[in-house]
Amino acid sequence: MREVSFDRLQERYAETRLPNGLRIRVIPKPSFAKTYAFFAANYGSIDTAFRWQGRDYRAPDGVAHYLEHKMFDMPEGNVMEQFSALGGSPNAFTGYTMTAYYVECTEQWQENLRLLLRYVSTPYFTDETVEKERGIIAQEIRMYEDSADSRVYENLFQSLCAHHPVRVPIAGTVESIQSITAQTLRDCYGAFYTPENMMLCVAGPVEPQAVADLAAAVLPASGGPAGRPDYGAPEAMAGPSRRVEARMEVSMPTFTAAFPCRPPRDGRDGLRQELLGDLAAELLCGESTALYQRLYEEGLIDSSFSIGYESVKGIAMLTASGDSRDPDAVTAALVEEAERLAREGASPALFQRLLKSAYGRRIRELDSFENICYRTCQTSFEGAEYLEFPDFFQSFTLEEAAALLAESVVPDRHVLSVVLPKEGRCAP
Amino acid sequence: MNKRLEILPDVFLTAEQSDKFKTGSLSLSLLRPLSRAEASANALIPAVLLRGCRGCPDIRAISAFLDDHCGASVGVLVRKKGEVQTTGFYSVFLEDCFSPDGSPVLAPVIDLLGRLLLEPVLEGGVFVPAWVEGERQNLLNTIDARINNKAGYAMSQMFKAMCAGEAYGVPRLGERADAEALTAEGLYGWYRQLLARSRVELFYHGRCPGEEVAELLRAALRELPRAVPDAYGTDASPRAGTVREVREQLDVTQGKLSMGFRLGCTAAEETYPAALVMNAVYGAGVTSKLFTNVREKMSLCYYANSSLEKFKGVMAVSSGIEFDQFDTARAEILRQLDAVRAGEISEAELEAARRSLLSSLKTGMDSPGRLEDYALGQVLLGRAGTMEDLARQVAAVTAEEAAAAARRVELDTVYFLEGVPS
Repeated sequence: MREVSFDRLQERYAETRLPNGLRIRVIPKPSFAKTYAFFAANYGSIDTAFRWQGRDYRAPDGVAHYLEHKMFDMPEGNVMEQFSALGGSPNAFTGYTMTAYYVECTEQWQENLRLLLRYVSTPYFTDETVEKERGIIAQEIRMYEDSADSRVYENLFQSLCAHHPVRVPIAGTVESIQSITAQTLRDCYGAFYTPENMMLCVAGPVEPQAVADLAAAVLPASGGPAGRPDYGAPEAMAGPSRRVEARMEVSMPTFTAAFPCRPPRDGRDGLRQELLGDLAAELLCGESTALYQRLYEEGLIDSSFSIGYESVKGIAMLTASGDSRDPDAVTAALVEEAERLAREGASPALFQRLLKSAYGRRIRELDSFENICYRTCQTSFEGAEYLEFPDFFQSFTLEEAAALLAESVVPDRHVLSVVLPKEGRCAP
Repeated sequence: MNKRLEILPDVFLTAEQSDKFKTGSLSLSLLRPLSRAEASANALIPAVLLRGCRGCPDIRAISAFLDDHCGASVGVLVRKKGEVQTTGFYSVFLEDCFSPDGSPVLAPVIDLLGRLLLEPVLEGGVFVPAWVEGERQNLLNTIDARINNKAGYAMSQMFKAMCAGEAYGVPRLGERADAEALTAEGLYGWYRQLLARSRVELFYHGRCPGEEVAELLRAALRELPRAVPDAYGTDASPRAGTVREVREQLDVTQGKLSMGFRLGCTAAEETYPAALVMNAVYGAGVTSKLFTNVREKMSLCYYANSSLEKFKGVMAVSSGIEFDQFDTARAEILRQLDAVRAGEISEAELEAARRSLLSSLKTGMDSPGRLEDYALGQVLLGRAGTMEDLARQVAAVTAEEAAAAARRVELDTVYFLEGVPS
């Protein structure tokens, strides 16, 4: 295996690619008790329209999430009991662009890893088991429907995009999942769960070569090319500003404002833009800015406020979120401040401080096995290397951050999504 | 290696020296008896203190200081542990050896914590009234925001009804009406009392030797006023009487069922490991009876689980269901508890429960946050053991002991959050 170390970060990893195309990375952490294995597919809720083996597919919304639920079934039964016998805690999640299966354990890591690899590489779906899951997933969707945080994002994406599949909630809707069958799951599994479209990342007190040997022994020796998703034409995301509103059983308005920016050119550009975008956002209204202090003191924002950069395949934006009695006033203040910064320039001293702060926080995040495995797979699927982030930090200039801000936070181009308390709920 | 030192009278430091992480952490908790009279004031004080202190006179200056120290963070930490309320700060920071320009982080952060706690900005000899007002509104908003998370709301409403006459019925942040009445003057007066009359627990996890951390803290806290600390503790849970049923209506799409039980023991008792195994067999995790039956076999819900509160000795079962499944879900949840009581625990179920608990305790030792929480819990329980010791006890629990623990469990209150009839 290829060994790479980052002396400044006191981090190292070993990496290899199996003949079947699977990329494997092992991050040895000898002083820890726990091992964390993360097996991810470069496949998420937005990959519903795709071309595979010469055919075009249009799968029902929510299929990636449904598939994730049903992966836990094996011919011999649900895989949970087998993990329990091995002392492993397995779980999984589906995002817009990734589906990941993971297990955390403190003993028998090889057996736990073997089981993880075996069940994710065993598609076993019957009409009966697929049918049985429908009620469970419907209740999961109902749970999200009662969550203001979910609603505010779903409404934002619907308003932001004309057709991009990020408009649809990750789990789909109670209606859309009705048409999912065992065959749907088999098709999507076949198209996206191929070794070359997946990555295995393991952190813990493990021997890297043992991980690679185990994966080579358990997984199929070869795999075909993955399906090619189609997200439609690029989103214009141009103005005018829009506002989308919902009313729910919440105590106080909650909001997300999005300021679209240029989508990154490739994975490396994406990582760079993410780091720079977070800095630009902090420059505008991070906790050590005058604007943050003013909004906080006026009671327009509280400690729930956050500002940063987000992107999903072809969509990129700066976002500001939180609870506020007046989300429109907060959004207007952000735009006004961006105009002032464009006119008067931002403080170089503030920028240097923010750089130091962001760098320190990113280093600290490496402590989390979950975070490092997720980040590694996410950037790897995009064709970039997450651990290069310290180099990016060294190259950033105030001018670049200011330019990103000037391009993105402008009048009449943002989308504001708010969830308001139900009418009749007493204001506090 | 865990070190425990009394650095000032009734101020204790637990220091866990470890070089596993790039992050160091430090918590500072004042221990208080949970009571309506002071709960909301105790919750508000650290938020007001985080508005400004000597050297960092406003939030912007505090943030700039933290940015300058490699993105360190300091937040308010208010906890309810049985009938004890803890209030104070939690701080995480980059270990000194990763500081890009070699400048220290730990010592300045500890110094800041001391200033935040002891040297607030004052106006007319009391807290700045505008800050108290602002943070009081934030506290009220947080109290009101309980309703945003429907599952959490259902559980807290259930416990409120179940423990109405007990200190445990007081919410973590106190009652809204009490928070509304707080003034800058009154709050400052109480703050001075709070400093003097509270046992203080500090927990450090990181690369610095315990003695050095103790030195830094002793210097930072040297002005802490000291008097005889107020007693704190948790009254054992009474036995359940007639089952109470509470229903509430909100405009939601999913019903939330929360059932409260008297556990019949606390973590201070020898039977606690058996209660932990019982809870794992019954309702914690994906091989539990609740998950495999209420969710997997009957497809009634996405989640159905049980959880313990180890200080008070209570158990909650939570599930999100269709409104018309209330009777079915409730009956099945109780039927599964009866099965545990009757000793219907297979070898595989027992083994899975024990293994999952052992794994959770071992991974806890890789988590500074959970080590801190456990250490504080042991202080409150007056016990000495580590997570490792508990793991050994859990490993020895038999099926019969778990069944006996279930037989001590009594249903007290059933709460259901249902939709508004259309």
